[in-house]
Amino acid sequence: MRKHVAGAIGALASAAALAISTVGAASATAAPSASGGKTLVIDNSFQLVTADPGHMFEPSGELVDNGLYDTLVTFQGSDLKTVVPDLATSWTSLENSKKYIFHLNPKARFSDGTPVTSADVVWSLDRMVNLKGNPSFLLAGEKIVAQGPETVVMTSALPNPALPYILPNPATGVLNSKLVKAHGGTDAANASTKDTAENWLNNHSAGSGPYVLSSFSTTTQVVMKANPNYWGAKPAYSTVDLRNVQAPVQGLDVERGANEIAVDLSPAQTKSLSGVQIKRAPSPNVFFLFTNNDPTISTVTSNPWFQKAVRAAINYKSLVALAGTGSVQTPGVVPTVFLGALPSSADSKTSVSVAKADLAKSGLKNPSVALTYPTDVQVNGINFGDLAARVQQDLQQVGITVTLQPQSVQVALQTYRGGKEAMGLWEWGPDFPDPSDYLVFGPGHLVGLRAGWTTADAPGLATLAQKAADTTGTAARQSVFQAFQQQLNQRGPFMPLIQTAQVVVATKSVKNVQGNGLWLVDLRNLG
Amino acid sequence: MTCGTLANLAVINTSLRGRARRVTPAGLGRFLGRRIGIGLVLMVGITLVAFVLTHLVPGNPAAANLGQRALGDPAIVKAFNHEYGLDKPVVDQYVIYLGKLLHGNLGISEQSHRAVVTDLAEYVPATIELALFAIVISLVLGVGLGILAAVRRGKLVDGVIRVISLLGVSMPTFWVALLAFYLFFFRLGWFPSGGRLGPAVTPPGNITGLYTVDALLHGDWSLFASALDHLVLPGLVLGIYTVGTMVRFTRASVLEVINNDYVRAARVKGLSEWTVIRRHVVRPALLGIATVSGVAFGSLLSGTVLVENIFGWPGIGQYAYNSAINLDLPAIMGVSMVVAFIYIVVNLLVDILYSILDPRIELR
Repeated sequence: MRKHVAGAIGALASAAALAISTVGAASATAAPSASGGKTLVIDNSFQLVTADPGHMFEPSGELVDNGLYDTLVTFQGSDLKTVVPDLATSWTSLENSKKYIFHLNPKARFSDGTPVTSADVVWSLDRMVNLKGNPSFLLAGEKIVAQGPETVVMTSALPNPALPYILPNPATGVLNSKLVKAHGGTDAANASTKDTAENWLNNHSAGSGPYVLSSFSTTTQVVMKANPNYWGAKPAYSTVDLRNVQAPVQGLDVERGANEIAVDLSPAQTKSLSGVQIKRAPSPNVFFLFTNNDPTISTVTSNPWFQKAVRAAINYKSLVALAGTGSVQTPGVVPTVFLGALPSSADSKTSVSVAKADLAKSGLKNPSVALTYPTDVQVNGINFGDLAARVQQDLQQVGITVTLQPQSVQVALQTYRGGKEAMGLWEWGPDFPDPSDYLVFGPGHLVGLRAGWTTADAPGLATLAQKAADTTGTAARQSVFQAFQQQLNQRGPFMPLIQTAQVVVATKSVKNVQGNGLWLVDLRNLG
Repeated sequence: MTCGTLANLAVINTSLRGRARRVTPAGLGRFLGRRIGIGLVLMVGITLVAFVLTHLVPGNPAAANLGQRALGDPAIVKAFNHEYGLDKPVVDQYVIYLGKLLHGNLGISEQSHRAVVTDLAEYVPATIELALFAIVISLVLGVGLGILAAVRRGKLVDGVIRVISLLGVSMPTFWVALLAFYLFFFRLGWFPSGGRLGPAVTPPGNITGLYTVDALLHGDWSLFASALDHLVLPGLVLGIYTVGTMVRFTRASVLEVINNDYVRAARVKGLSEWTVIRRHVVRPALLGIATVSGVAFGSLLSGTVLVENIFGWPGIGQYAYNSAINLDLPAIMGVSMVVAFIYIVVNLLVDILYSILDPRIELR
């Protein structure tokens, strides 16, 4: 009898297990296939807060808003050096880059069919500035006015040659002002407290881009449908589903063909993939080391010969190898994909003997220093800890003892931003693809001060930084920014290390796949 | 949560010599009133502890949530601190928080820019759905296999089940999750890789927030299939530890009583073996199983962080993790409150279940 009971229980338990597996197998078969057809699924490890362009300043948000909103000008494919028309068919720079005139394309239409006017542009950009959010600094100090329905004039007190490179940022996306006003939007000076449109813009879109927002979640997925009234070339996919997926899983998703594109894999994570297309290129994300120039923080790291010794001791090739195929040594703080970057011939050279000689000149005996870095963030799949361990090893070879001091990013940010770290390993991602974004590394500027480097420490370089900010004309800017970085490498407390690789993996069914340093993948030109 | 801990939250009088008593409505009312009162005090205490602890963490919410450039603009930092009430003294912030809490307002999340209540309404049901699925699987498989192992003690079946249960409790959940993902998604293709629904599938209208239940309530079978399809693998992975625990606990409980005199007497009376097992062997073990289930449900809630991350399940685990690393104080407070509330409710239900399973236990 007991056997019967045991048999019955066993059968029940087995049946339950079988039922579960059967449901899984059966429903998996019935689940809609996303491959091919009109739906494109993109895997992304979300850094997403909002779809409202006025508040948005995160990589995933840029991808979403690039699909939903047009900007005055934009970039095409992966090229971040050439500004191309979007809403503006042409533009003119006047008065030494203090004034810009943009002429709008009269064909441009919002998704509800109404024309995009200069009033919409002015309202959208003023709103973005007055919301006092993360992207507000992009156009701070710009006076934006409409001259007729199809002309926008932007003026600033100081030359702003970077403006054409700032405006492609999807945060400057143009909204249907009437529609957004009706849902609580305002461009008034007190918009930071009076504008209530963000929630609405997280459920609806009000732009003129190739897609409209269908659903939005900051943790699950963002679904965009083709804009039926799009005024440009019809997008290849009728639906784009951006899904929040951890990086290691993304490769398996695409390799199996469950999803079409993965944007967060590191070069190492792509090694085992097969049957997919892999696009690797240097990203604009720059890892750098700094030694605090303030003697009150460290008498060791502020020693100029110590700084030179560190620069010569680092094995840059080893760091590039660690970061994987597609990454490169960065010769200066401006990444190689931007105007003003130094040529690779200017790369810092590794030399243990030079490093030892410089250390001897410093007068320091067996110096020891703590290296602080964040542990809970990755950039293009690269851990700060792995790079820090290599730096520790390199410096050990020349007689510098490095104590690794890993910290949670929020704790490390406190000391970094407060200028309290003796030696730090950090990364700078571009706010906009223009070399002027890297003047923050100058003495007395944002990042310079974090390294204890004041204007008084290097007045000549401070003057050169100001000259770089004011210089206009592509060739002249190229030259002055290169000069700035050369001096930064010689005299500054910064050691630019590597640019990580930006990797985009896609199934072979997707055509014209191109990564983009701002919005991860060029959605508009996919075939 | 152990029986000892439960005793701190409830007054349970177990009188083994006393006559079986029914739970009267008045008695139940007094019991509930007392427990709800204690629960409210606990909740307020939890707000205080969570508030103090989150403010002790070194870090600055503005620095955590604003970009590098924005942080350099005092006007933007001022606007941020004003918006989230961070420009007020800490004590004032707490008093304001409690005042808003009385109106069901948990503040605005610094990460999502939405009301924390709205966020929680989205993420909590997802985790509850996952944890409920895991606990049901654990009960069905764990209790069934535990009884089977006890009944067939010393036989091959018992050995196999014990090995399986040992594996269940000893394998790290994240490893099981990765293994299951690789095998059942990547190799076999039986289950989808992650998320709660297939690509571009619109969620059902929100009734309970549990997609499988809501899809059924809407009569949408294809949506139900998609929701269940996405639920099974993370649910099984999450439940596998509890299955192991449940098997071991049930087997031990059944073995304790299976050779007692009253069980032999029941057999001698001519009752079928199934009836003997059901009435005289399993029933005494149910109290312990209820306790383990309560404990398991709580640990499932806290154990979802890794599973949710690997399977892209948008639950409270991911929300809590993101809130913590971004120093999103209102969200951290909200998560603390919800988890505490669920623990209190689960313990209350387990205590009530005791009196139903064993009439000798009086609720008062």
